[in-house]
Amino acid sequence: MAKRETSTRQIETDVASDAPLYEQVRDRLTQVILARELSDSTPLPTEPNLMELFGVSRGTLRRAIEELVRDGLLSAEQGRGTFVVQEERVRRVVWQLLSEVARPDSRFDLDLSQYVPDFAGSNLAQKRVMKRDEWRKAEVIFCAPDNSIEQLRLSALNAGKKILVPTYGLQRGFIFLDGAKIPKTDHALAATLDGMERFGKRLGPADLRQAGTIDLVVTGATAVTTDGRHIGGGQRYLALEWMMMKQLGVLSPNALVFAVVHDCQVVDEMVEAEPDCLLDLICTNSQEIDVWEPQVVAPSKLRRIK
Amino acid sequence: MSGQLSTDQYREQIWAELAKVARPDSRFHWDFSSFICDFVGSEKCSDRVLELDALTHRGDRQVFITPDNCLEDLRYKLIQRGIPFVMTTYGIVRGFYRLDPATIPESDHRYAATLDGFDRYAVAMPLAELQKGNKFSLLVTGGSAVSNNGVRFGKGHGYFDFEWAVLSELGLTDSSSVVADVVHDCQFVNEVMPAEKHDVVVDWVVTPTQAIHIDQNSRQRGRVFWELVPGTEFEQLGIVAELRAIQNLGPM
Repeated sequence: MAKRETSTRQIETDVASDAPLYEQVRDRLTQVILARELSDSTPLPTEPNLMELFGVSRGTLRRAIEELVRDGLLSAEQGRGTFVVQEERVRRVVWQLLSEVARPDSRFDLDLSQYVPDFAGSNLAQKRVMKRDEWRKAEVIFCAPDNSIEQLRLSALNAGKKILVPTYGLQRGFIFLDGAKIPKTDHALAATLDGMERFGKRLGPADLRQAGTIDLVVTGATAVTTDGRHIGGGQRYLALEWMMMKQLGVLSPNALVFAVVHDCQVVDEMVEAEPDCLLDLICTNSQEIDVWEPQVVAPSKLRRIK
Repeated sequence: MSGQLSTDQYREQIWAELAKVARPDSRFHWDFSSFICDFVGSEKCSDRVLELDALTHRGDRQVFITPDNCLEDLRYKLIQRGIPFVMTTYGIVRGFYRLDPATIPESDHRYAATLDGFDRYAVAMPLAELQKGNKFSLLVTGGSAVSNNGVRFGKGHGYFDFEWAVLSELGLTDSSSVVADVVHDCQFVNEVMPAEKHDVVVDWVVTPTQAIHIDQNSRQRGRVFWELVPGTEFEQLGIVAELRAIQNLGPM
């Protein structure tokens, strides 16, 4: 394929491609960002530098950058420059890895920006949660509507626990399910998003107290960090749900937060995300990570669980 | 024709009525443009479909169902009766699947009838595999609206037209294949509407209160109009590539 002659300093754009030049620059810049060749903490190089790097005009470069700002991968800050949005970079990198092991959703297929997928090996990760004392003792559990924890929702119902599950995107409130009151033969269905509404009671934010006291929060994630940050799909639903539960006093002061993810979703870097809802335990297909957060605010996080 | 509403006006009127009896989707909630909804009374529709000759006298012929929410109860009842069926995944993204009730424990019958549960038990059917099977006796779809001459209109009906076209190209339909459209009464428009060449006119409109038979002796054999595919949601589908390979047509 014919390529533009470039110096080693230049980043190639594919002249044989049908895509407009600005799209090629956008895609190449995305690759550079995802490969972490640009720092998150310092602004992008100046326009003249980038123009030289990509061998394109100012107009083309600006259009490419505008697109990335709109997509959330870059943020333009008045007077400071244009920065890489770390959380979005992590999300994009993880989605690439995760797509290898993800199981399609019944509606969104493999569009991972729309949902948290189940993955190959999730049974092993979920079993780690089931073995914990905190799980066994918990009577009321908040379970995210993530496909990766469907087996946990089922297991909770089987054990006669009560679970509180937000509807997808929190659009129609929460569903409260009592495993002891649902016929055992319906548990598998009640554990799915398609089935849960038939067996549970819908609770709006104002009715959340009817759920009693939540002992444990279990969630999937788009990514998690080894220091216990939860990165969702971009809408920050978990943080919103956490805040609602906290403000309404339905969260036990000792409530712990467990995340179920694939190994490829664990990111070993500091990310400024979800400072409210810190994870205590991360269970993956191959390991269990107890999270120790030294400079914490919430008392529950001071306890290192064993 | 004076007094007659345009299809857009019908659509608006129907959606307003449908909203009163519709059941939300687990992902798309009330966004009817993203899915074919279930509605109050769909159970009565499935009972009527179960009585159609094309099902009771299907012999060794197959049954096809679309992944529409209003057909979940019908899928459940087919599973309970041990009747296997072929279905596509949402948006035909992963193509055709076959569900054999013999593989499903009784406790999971309702689960397997949902889109979330279907995947657990259904088996992917690449077109080459599907083609080896028997022809279809009955094909059931949901729809946003249907006229009294069996023309479906409104958002979403294009998927079934395409499924019918693909199955026909594979030689899996013939003049005795019967098409049933399951809708709420408010989705039935008692008026004649013109059909486009790619529209599949239906033989039965099944509502909670009645099953309306429509004579379709003029239905053409289904085919994929390849010139209409570029630029549509179908262009990138796996089954498009598979079908073109089977027909030695080369990539789209």
